[in-house]
Amino acid sequence: MTDLRRGLAVAVAIARKDAISELRGRQAAGSTLFFAAIVLLLFGFALGPDSQRLGEAAPGLLWLAIAFGGLLTMARLHQLEADDGAFEQLALYPVDRRAIYAGKALAGAAAMLVLGGLLLPVVAILYGIPIGAAWLTLLAVVVLGAIGFAAIGTAYAGLTVRMRAREVMLPLLMLPIVAPLLLAAVKATVAALGGDPLGELGSWLQLLVAFDVIMLVVGAGTYGFLLED
Amino acid sequence: MPQTTIYVAPRLAGTLGTIPPAVATVELSRLFGRSAALAGVSLTVEMGRTVALLGPNGAGKTTLLRILATAIRPSYGSLSIDGIDALGDPEQVRGRVVYLSHATAHYDDLTAEENLRFAATMFGWGEREGMPVVQDALATVDLDGVAGERVRTYSAGMRKRLALARVLVARPSLLLLDEPHAALDADGMALVDRLIGLWRDAGVTVMIASHQAERVSSLADATVRLDGGLLAEVSGAGVAAGPVGASQRRGIAVAGLDR
Repeated sequence: MTDLRRGLAVAVAIARKDAISELRGRQAAGSTLFFAAIVLLLFGFALGPDSQRLGEAAPGLLWLAIAFGGLLTMARLHQLEADDGAFEQLALYPVDRRAIYAGKALAGAAAMLVLGGLLLPVVAILYGIPIGAAWLTLLAVVVLGAIGFAAIGTAYAGLTVRMRAREVMLPLLMLPIVAPLLLAAVKATVAALGGDPLGELGSWLQLLVAFDVIMLVVGAGTYGFLLED
Repeated sequence: MPQTTIYVAPRLAGTLGTIPPAVATVELSRLFGRSAALAGVSLTVEMGRTVALLGPNGAGKTTLLRILATAIRPSYGSLSIDGIDALGDPEQVRGRVVYLSHATAHYDDLTAEENLRFAATMFGWGEREGMPVVQDALATVDLDGVAGERVRTYSAGMRKRLALARVLVARPSLLLLDEPHAALDADGMALVDRLIGLWRDAGVTVMIASHQAERVSSLADATVRLDGGLLAEVSGAGVAAGPVGASQRRGIAVAGLDR
């Protein structure tokens, strides 16, 4: 087996293992979705019935809910490893560290994508936004946002998983780094929903792609050090 | 009793065709804060030997095994495994060393078979060739009847058996067993003894940390005793203590030494 094929097999095995654990531990995944939906609902109440105001706030609140839910998801995917010493065992397998990172990031991106995909219609219904024509562009924004968030989240969750106060440390360390991604995602969502009159959607999407590539490269390069003592 | 196949890493030749020692440590020390769990341990173990690692609680047995497994790095000292510099090239060593720790390291929401298939992939087995290996390992540890159940429902003894099955799907040259008999019933303990015999016969170097001194000594070629992080006694075939380490002569500052 070539190194690339072996790395791919390892990454897929890790992502599949995480996906099975997520699906079987339904209460954890369900509570994340419920939490994100509650965030949207409460902000909806706070903003009042003004439909224009709701529409303007919707892109930001969508990504706020995705970010909150994503933080829980990233932490949980690494908590699976922390239980029963599995993280140490993972570090001792004779596999390329980048493949481990790729597997964890793949699982994280898939979970984020599901979260974003489910929250989009929730936002559309709660805030009365017509997403019909823009759904494909919005999906692209969610995909790029999910990849970037998972790329950073996997590295930081690997860093904090052995800490006692990991639930506090993960958002504390991660949110400042993820802020440019969230900004670009919000701006791209605004442009997609507004019909892109200023023609800026492409630039924001390019920024998201660049951010994803940089974070994936940095994450893959540093994750191995996080697994070491 | 099911047929048990033992898989072993290929042997490495040393310089000029000599066989390098399975384990060679020089002055191995590990500090946790200001206390030393291990202080200047120099030890050589020949390939293919079975070694009982004995000592009271806090003697440094687990710390030594974790350093040998490359799970933690020593604070001082050097280490080679099968002639490979384990501190300089831990990734190469990880293909040859398998560590059975106190923690069973399973994923609770996966079934036993799924856990083992995952481990088989990580140890380099392909999807198709790994399946019979997994099935054989499950049968050997007598979990084949409950392989489809989630590990969350398993007892401590069953979890330990599954951890042993994970070792069976690996291809070790050096096997590090930390309290392998713990949590097991009489049948389980007999199974561990049988597996250790099979690994020994296959030429795997086995180091067993245990409080069951009589039991593991009867399985081993040699005994290494640690006390307070220091090498207290080495006896038997194929194992030698190195010279007294400089750190021991200095009396490295250490809670362990005060005992």
